Amino acid sequence: MVLRKGLFKKPKNDLEGVSWDASGISVPDKTYFSCAGCRRMILTSDLEENLWICPRCGHYHKVPARTRLSWITDEGSFSELFADIEGIDALDFPGYRERLARERAKSGEREAVVCGTARVGGYACAVFVMEPFFLIGSMGTAVGEKITSLFEYAAKKRLPVLGYTVSGGARMQEGILSLMQMAKTSGAVKRHSDRGLLYAAVLTDPTTGGVTASFAMEADVILAEPGALICFAGPRVIEQTIRKKLPAGFQRAEFLLAKGFVDDIVQRDRQKAYLTTLLSLHCEGGPGCEGYRTGTGGALA
Amino acid sequence: MFSKVLIANRGEIAVRIIRACKEMGISTVAVFSEADRDALHANLADESYCIGPPPASESYLNMAAVLSVATLTGAQAIHPGYGLLSENAKFASLCEKCGIAFIGPPAGVIAAMGRKDEARRLMRAAGVPVIPGCDDVADLEDLRRKAADIGYPLVIKARSGGGGRGIRVVNGEAELERAYQTACAEASAAFGDGGVYLERLLSPVRHVEMQLLCDTKGNVVCLGERECSIQRRNQKLIEESPSPAVNDDIRARMTDAAARAAAKIGYVGAGTIEFLLDADGNFYFMEMNTRLQVEHTVTEMVTGIDIVKWQIRVATGHPLGFSQEDITVSGSAIECRINAENPAQGFRPSCGRVTLLHIPGGPWVRFDTALYQDYVVPPYYDSMIGKLIVYAKTREEAIRKMQAALCELVIEGVDHNSELLSDILSSQAFLSGDYDTGFLNDWG
Repeated sequence: MVLRKGLFKKPKNDLEGVSWDASGISVPDKTYFSCAGCRRMILTSDLEENLWICPRCGHYHKVPARTRLSWITDEGSFSELFADIEGIDALDFPGYRERLARERAKSGEREAVVCGTARVGGYACAVFVMEPFFLIGSMGTAVGEKITSLFEYAAKKRLPVLGYTVSGGARMQEGILSLMQMAKTSGAVKRHSDRGLLYAAVLTDPTTGGVTASFAMEADVILAEPGALICFAGPRVIEQTIRKKLPAGFQRAEFLLAKGFVDDIVQRDRQKAYLTTLLSLHCEGGPGCEGYRTGTGGALA
Repeated sequence: MFSKVLIANRGEIAVRIIRACKEMGISTVAVFSEADRDALHANLADESYCIGPPPASESYLNMAAVLSVATLTGAQAIHPGYGLLSENAKFASLCEKCGIAFIGPPAGVIAAMGRKDEARRLMRAAGVPVIPGCDDVADLEDLRRKAADIGYPLVIKARSGGGGRGIRVVNGEAELERAYQTACAEASAAFGDGGVYLERLLSPVRHVEMQLLCDTKGNVVCLGERECSIQRRNQKLIEESPSPAVNDDIRARMTDAAARAAAKIGYVGAGTIEFLLDADGNFYFMEMNTRLQVEHTVTEMVTGIDIVKWQIRVATGHPLGFSQEDITVSGSAIECRINAENPAQGFRPSCGRVTLLHIPGGPWVRFDTALYQDYVVPPYYDSMIGKLIVYAKTREEAIRKMQAALCELVIEGVDHNSELLSDILSSQAFLSGDYDTGFLNDWG
């Protein structure tokens, strides 16, 4: 015998006391989010406490640029550069102006990359972090200009560059102008490199298109986050072109590590220590790199 | 008063809370897992919603699902019962953010009492005696020094601990380092916090706890003690009120300490302060349970106060309708936990269909359960399937009544422990009231 519905009657008891004011019952926006890895509802605060890694399945979620900066730079050391450079609708692309306004309101950033100088583990350096919540970090003229300016600034000040990339590629709304940024940023990276200065990049999910094909893959040391998609053309495009099923994990960080395209995969909680080690190895007493350390006359000292 | 309450629990306690709501004219919302589709609580409530697969971690502990049901059904409050989300500070704070009343203390109090080292500090500050020990251990050298001060045997406990994990007994210095490292590793793995503290191992001791009821106006009332020394592996089996070991002097001191502790931390709702009581009448704070206890029933029987109803009233901001002077503990009540397990086979858990059920009755006999004839006890949850409670004018009469009730209880289809309970009740130690927490250690 299973209890059938309606078996128990509702007692005829009046509510004890005065009814409670029920207004205002609602779950505030962004309390929960659905994890792209496991599709579970995860408490946003749990995700944030766990470095934006799903506590259930370990999926690495996209991180706002300034949150990343707070993780890797020494407290209070970040000083923003080129903050007033922002994209314009030079081609009069339909809807682009409105889209830019929306993205700015959504992300709180004026463009898809944040640049500046900071100390990491005590070492002065130039840093850039791309913003995944601004047109998926796509590279238009402003992003190209900011990256180029940062490398030029670093070359002039003899600073190493640390960069976090995340990008959907070149910004289609800016057409050929955005494609030109690939060459422009590459030139700046080369001039920085020619001065014997370190450039380390951390490729995060997704780093694709024109960014992969330019400054992301031009670093002296290329690191990646676990599971990050790193490619020029994405797997779906390749599958549709060659009409073949791609192997599991194709174009993911682990695949690229095995093929020698990235140098190491570094978990989020280890990244600052890893980058500090890199800076200490390359900046302390190396040719042309003396003086980066705190208090020894570096550009930020 | 809330017009609709969601009960975020299952089994007998969900049924207990639904009954209280029905008496108060409150509509009830039950949540259930896929394994509990036919559970009594899901049928007894006015509305019920499935919140996930059988494992509690996927259903009853799924805060998002519980909150979704609460907001969508317009439930104004959530009663968490005991266990599950009842002592989860994060859940309490989420309820607050969603504009839903959490029937329990504020999230900050739950969090403070959940940190055992913090609880020790707070209690000491309130003038409540705590077990001799230390609040933290910095490193091995610090450990050796503090252990030598405390003396052996001692216990290493996880500060974020619970459920008996991260606890190690150390009988001498030779065992110290190894026990420390295993306790830290276990605590780190289980609670994400490897911090530990030390306490002297007190033995023999009795486990005596004080039931508190506090309102939002700062009124604190102590509803007397409960004796919970009959335990198997830290799980209580038989509880009684009053305790045969507590005289008027101890009771007065314990009541005063518990009330001071509650006032110090700004407690609201029903809560319990657990003490260890030694043979000399000294008692020490062990921990505070910031929720309804399984054994709240014996207190209800001897005081005549419905604790669940008062929890709900207090959560609406209603002041307590009585003061400490109005509380009289009269008679004697005993509770036996009926567990679906087989004591003859190493307490192996049992599950399956209840083919025959007879619930004992008669004056002052109460059986809190979610069982019914043909109910299938699922294998996923706690093995407690019922609580048999009796009340009488004297302890002796209560024991006799319990013996009779246990013999009348018939649950066929699943193994249970009523014979063991009957044997314990008839033991000389229990009859005389002279027993301690080691009572079941040597049980045949």
